[in-house]
Amino acid sequence: MDTGLALLLAAAYLFPLYWMYVTALKEPREIFLNPPSFWPHRLHAEFVQVFVEHGMAHYLWNSCLIAAGATLLTVLLGTGGAFVLSRRNDRMALGALFLVLLLQALPPSLLVTPIFVAFNQLGLLATPRLAVVLAQTGRMLPLFIVLTRPSFAQVPRELEDAARMDGASRSKVFLLIAVPLARNGILVSTILVFLQSLGEYVYSRSLISSDQLQTATVGLRGFLGTNTTDWSGIMTYAAIYVTPILVLFALLQTRIVGGLTAGALK
Amino acid sequence: MSARRRSGQDRPGFLHRSGFETALLAAPVLFLVAVSALPVLYTIAMSVQSVDMFDILSLHRPFVGLRNYIHLFHNPAAGRIALNTLLFTTCSVVAQVTIGFALAVFFQRRFPGAATIRGVFLAAWIMPGLVVGAIWKWMFAGDSGVVNAILAASGLIHAHPFWLSDPHLALPAVIIANIWLGVPFNMILLSVGLAAIPRDLYEAAAMDGAGSIRSFVSITLPMMRATIAAVVSLGIIFTLQQYDLISGLTEGGPANASNVAQYWSWQLSFQTYQIGQGSALAVLMLAVTALVASIYVSSTRREVVA
Repeated sequence: MDTGLALLLAAAYLFPLYWMYVTALKEPREIFLNPPSFWPHRLHAEFVQVFVEHGMAHYLWNSCLIAAGATLLTVLLGTGGAFVLSRRNDRMALGALFLVLLLQALPPSLLVTPIFVAFNQLGLLATPRLAVVLAQTGRMLPLFIVLTRPSFAQVPRELEDAARMDGASRSKVFLLIAVPLARNGILVSTILVFLQSLGEYVYSRSLISSDQLQTATVGLRGFLGTNTTDWSGIMTYAAIYVTPILVLFALLQTRIVGGLTAGALK
Repeated sequence: MSARRRSGQDRPGFLHRSGFETALLAAPVLFLVAVSALPVLYTIAMSVQSVDMFDILSLHRPFVGLRNYIHLFHNPAAGRIALNTLLFTTCSVVAQVTIGFALAVFFQRRFPGAATIRGVFLAAWIMPGLVVGAIWKWMFAGDSGVVNAILAASGLIHAHPFWLSDPHLALPAVIIANIWLGVPFNMILLSVGLAAIPRDLYEAAAMDGAGSIRSFVSITLPMMRATIAAVVSLGIIFTLQQYDLISGLTEGGPANASNVAQYWSWQLSFQTYQIGQGSALAVLMLAVTALVASIYVSSTRREVVA
């Protein structure tokens, strides 16, 4: 009985997602029926047409490129930080953790003004996608560190101490013992950072001026602005964009939820 | 480093201190200082300067004191946007925590599939905010939107309101979409807190004849005080970060009816190029966020150390 109610609640909650897919699969005429049909009368998909007409190939490519760059930089910089913060609780480590948590709270739409002016002065806006990668890494680093730290905390210290006794250097202990043992947690945080970065919007919109270099979010915003009656097309665009994200999330759902609950409140 | 500290046994972390570890920690910290902390200082500087498109590349800009702040407060939209920000944040957080709490309590009953079905809710949380805004914009459409159709079918409304272009309904519509977006994260965090309450407390209360409402009020709520405080402050932080959803739904319109401070600051800088005023507003909002964040961090400090 409870399971049935739970399924009902989840279905009601996810109705907007269902509505996106149903709209994408309806004929344009059927969309404006009143009252609306909750199941398409005739299936009608324009995925290829929308994908080509709205230049989704280059938008999605830019989104992937920026997300990959930001994820790589985040993992390179953040893994060591998460490890050290799981091992030390002296004043310096606590100060670093406080800074990380504080900076995580700052709204990107406010930070983007000084970032825009400073990057402009430094000439970084000549490579706008790199500029977005740097800004987005700043946003994702705290999240990555907070989520990955508990995985390192679970690695038994005795293993590291034993390796140290055998003469292993600190860098070897970190790279050959701690990182391999915490790899599941690192992987989950990495995927989470990548999925979040695929939806990056405010930095791309503000720092990238050339449409050829823009991301899928900005492409969707342009679509929304020019023609607000082509909802079939807009929902098709949205479905193409988010389906890979949803599939990846569904495959790793249990692990992501586990990683979130371990990291978020600690 | 003093000899007293060197010999101190109460500082085990000290024994692990090394150049390698310091470098590992310094890399992300220095990066964050460069792309987050320095920009904060730069905003403060620009908020007391005259910044326009001509001197944007120059480091020497005229100092104007508090003029940007005064212009900001005299802007006719300021009062409305301040009230909107307060309403947007308060209504979103209260509703997200309430609904999230109810769902967390429900999913705490261990029925088959509870964990999996609960995880399904997070699908909304992983979606790009702009896409969520686009979907809700379509659902809120006046003529053929599904929200109006459902409300009309259940007899709640007879007219077809144009949610997003009606000055009285635009903000509520944005709030509803934002509540939808925030519920899963609240539910998951509150579930963690609920799972940590010892079961035998409830068993003891049941033996003493306490009903479910009674044990909720006298066991669940007090035991959840720290979690609720953390979730509320995180909720305020995330709501003050919300930009994508507003951009997708209304872009703050019509006539600032659904505009909030973090979106307005961006508009001032990037649409009307009043970077000084945009920075002044950013400074005020960053101060609010930093205050909430430090309350959050110090409230979870004990767990952080552990």
